[in-house]
Amino acid sequence: MALTTASRPALPVPAAAPPRTRGRRKNYAARRSEGLAGYVFLSPWLIGLMAITAFPMLLSLYLSFTNYDVLSSWEFVEWVGFDNYTKIFTLDPTFWQSVRVTLTFGLIAIPLKLAASLGVALLLNKERRGVGLFRGMFYLPSLLGGSVALALVWVAMFNREGAFNAGLSLFGIEGNNWINDPDWALSTLMVLTIWQFGAPMVIFLAGLKQVPTELYEAAQVDGASKRRQFFHITLPMLSPVIFFNLLLETINGFQGFTSAFVISNGTGGPLGATKLYTLHIYDKAFTDFQMGYASALAWIFLAAIGLITIIFFSTGKFWVHYSDGEN
Amino acid sequence: MHPATPAPADEPTQHNGSLPAAGWNRRHLLRMLAGTAIAVPAAGLLAACGGEEEPSVDPNAKHTVSFFWWGGEARAKLTEEALKLYMTKHPNITITPTWQAFTGYYDKLATISAGGNAPDIFQIDDNGLAEYAGRNVTLDLSKYTANKKIDVSKHPESLTKYGQLGGKQVAIATGENTPAIIFDKTKLAELGVEAPQVGWSYDQIITWGAGITTKSGGKYWGLMDPSSDYKALWLWLRAQGKEFYNGPKIAFSEADLVAWFQLWVDARAKNATPPADVCHEAVTGSVATQLVVTKKAAVSFMWSNQLSEMQKATKNDLGMTAYPGDPKGQWARASTYWAASRTTKAPDVVADIINFLVNDPEAGKILGVDRGLPNNLDVRKSVSDGLTDQKMKDTVAFENEITPKFGPAPAPPPKGHSGLRNTLRDIAETVSYGKQTPEAAAKQFFTEATAALA
Repeated sequence: MALTTASRPALPVPAAAPPRTRGRRKNYAARRSEGLAGYVFLSPWLIGLMAITAFPMLLSLYLSFTNYDVLSSWEFVEWVGFDNYTKIFTLDPTFWQSVRVTLTFGLIAIPLKLAASLGVALLLNKERRGVGLFRGMFYLPSLLGGSVALALVWVAMFNREGAFNAGLSLFGIEGNNWINDPDWALSTLMVLTIWQFGAPMVIFLAGLKQVPTELYEAAQVDGASKRRQFFHITLPMLSPVIFFNLLLETINGFQGFTSAFVISNGTGGPLGATKLYTLHIYDKAFTDFQMGYASALAWIFLAAIGLITIIFFSTGKFWVHYSDGEN
Repeated sequence: MHPATPAPADEPTQHNGSLPAAGWNRRHLLRMLAGTAIAVPAAGLLAACGGEEEPSVDPNAKHTVSFFWWGGEARAKLTEEALKLYMTKHPNITITPTWQAFTGYYDKLATISAGGNAPDIFQIDDNGLAEYAGRNVTLDLSKYTANKKIDVSKHPESLTKYGQLGGKQVAIATGENTPAIIFDKTKLAELGVEAPQVGWSYDQIITWGAGITTKSGGKYWGLMDPSSDYKALWLWLRAQGKEFYNGPKIAFSEADLVAWFQLWVDARAKNATPPADVCHEAVTGSVATQLVVTKKAAVSFMWSNQLSEMQKATKNDLGMTAYPGDPKGQWARASTYWAASRTTKAPDVVADIINFLVNDPEAGKILGVDRGLPNNLDVRKSVSDGLTDQKMKDTVAFENEITPKFGPAPAPPPKGHSGLRNTLRDIAETVSYGKQTPEAAAKQFFTEATAALA
């Protein structure tokens, strides 16, 4: 996910309040022209949003109600109402397979990735000699991101003659053909995802640095154990960062595509074991030329991720602790 | 169709080195789909507004023609050289070639076609032909074959016909090609086993394959399991006088498919083929992962023009023969075609370039047998005589041996075929992995196929 991690927005650091100067005193015209100037400066982004995101999205919503097939010219596009949607839910076994695979992937890989990144961040938070080197090394896999090269390495590592099995054989264990075994293929994919915990780890690290040391000192004075300090200071203070990572990793995780595509050679196999939802969309659009149908799949996906996000936000208030009032 | 499907007839290089760029590309495409931006249809909308203009017929007018194919470096060199020759002869024509590995080729072709910018001339194979011709992307070349601007009089008729759909000449074959099994001669000699022959029955080759597994001590198998490969099924059907498609419908019965699956269940039981997870590695048909190349089995189910390419991937000496069963199941198959875009601004020029590529002796000499045996029989003769690559010579010898035994050519596969062959692949694997009986799998295939082709 090099792309996504690179474009990941910076941690919402509470910015210093903008200096309030003469703004309020300004007359209406001046304020208006300032507003206009603002929009002018925004325009590259606004135009981009409209042309590259909003318009195509709306178009795909329209297409999801049509039989658009990519290749035929526009006049053959027919309105089919909710046909695509009903077909998806009633006549498409691969849809359910891909939902099952994607949910399994998400429910296991995302929490584990977060746990791994938090765990390593805690270890690397201590100031020790060479800690910078370790931080760099743990971050390294994330730099490689969802690259094709890495996925190919994974194939080489986890097939029958791969390095992993060679390692196992030292202990006299005969390994599986992990990549090509329908019961294991998805797990290898999850391991790949979890291994790339660098990005959330760095954010956790930054979050840990923000936790005021006075709290720990006070707790120590009161005789709180390390364990207690973790659950009663670190976790609550870190909860906004956890929330942020959880949200991003969930959205990114469900959209994963490259590794599954490359590892399974685009088949989502063996036996559909790695048929992530995104692969199903891709197949429908570019193999079966059912772009309308694929658009419907994409909108269902969008709705599902949107719903998950809403659930996160609405439950957030019960566990996310914002320490405002200070500074 | 996309790279997940078995590689096409003539796919020469599907080495992994070509993957990265394609992967990124694909990922971007997906991102568009996955809820952020479907830019492709937008382009389609805009393109639909443009009208088609009657092209001018001035022979000296300047034209730029875009040209797109898939393949490896070697093919690119040959093709570019041939196109250069054409431009030397026609200084007013500029051809802008673009090429890429097969992986991702069809995705790119689909998206640029959707944008209304289909290349003026593009390479296509029979798996994609109906998808494109059926959706009116291709230029009808009938006019040019009729007035001999594209001269097909020296081409085998079956090969010309294999580029026709709905009475239109929608594409011109680039060369002739035949499915062939490729086997590891060195390994066979090591084990003291005779080479497979044209006309062997399936039972014969399976028994033979089981013998190899036994002799090798069980870690090296006789045959790849081709049960998920549509072309193997197709030839098996045709050898019995049956067909795969009848127009846009499936022509074989559920019982046929059960028999096909059962054939390979039995072969696996006899140890003639490796376990499913080993076969799965080779299931996409790409040369680099074939079991003959990875030295896991003695026989791979391939295409005749892939011999030379496969030989480059292994030190062992390779041989080639027909698929098992009556050779009348084979036909003069177009390895790939040249097709033109319906929206081209210079259809006459496009036709002339295609004619040059398939009929000009000099062009033929440059292109060699890279896209199969040349269509033009005169060119084919002179090209074959001048070959130096031993494996290319073997390919020609094989084609010459098998050509008189060919059965009649079927129609190219219908619209929906590229999805259907994936369906067959996935369902056949449920049988080889032991998750479904042949009966249940065949039933599932027909349910899904009927829906897909409807």
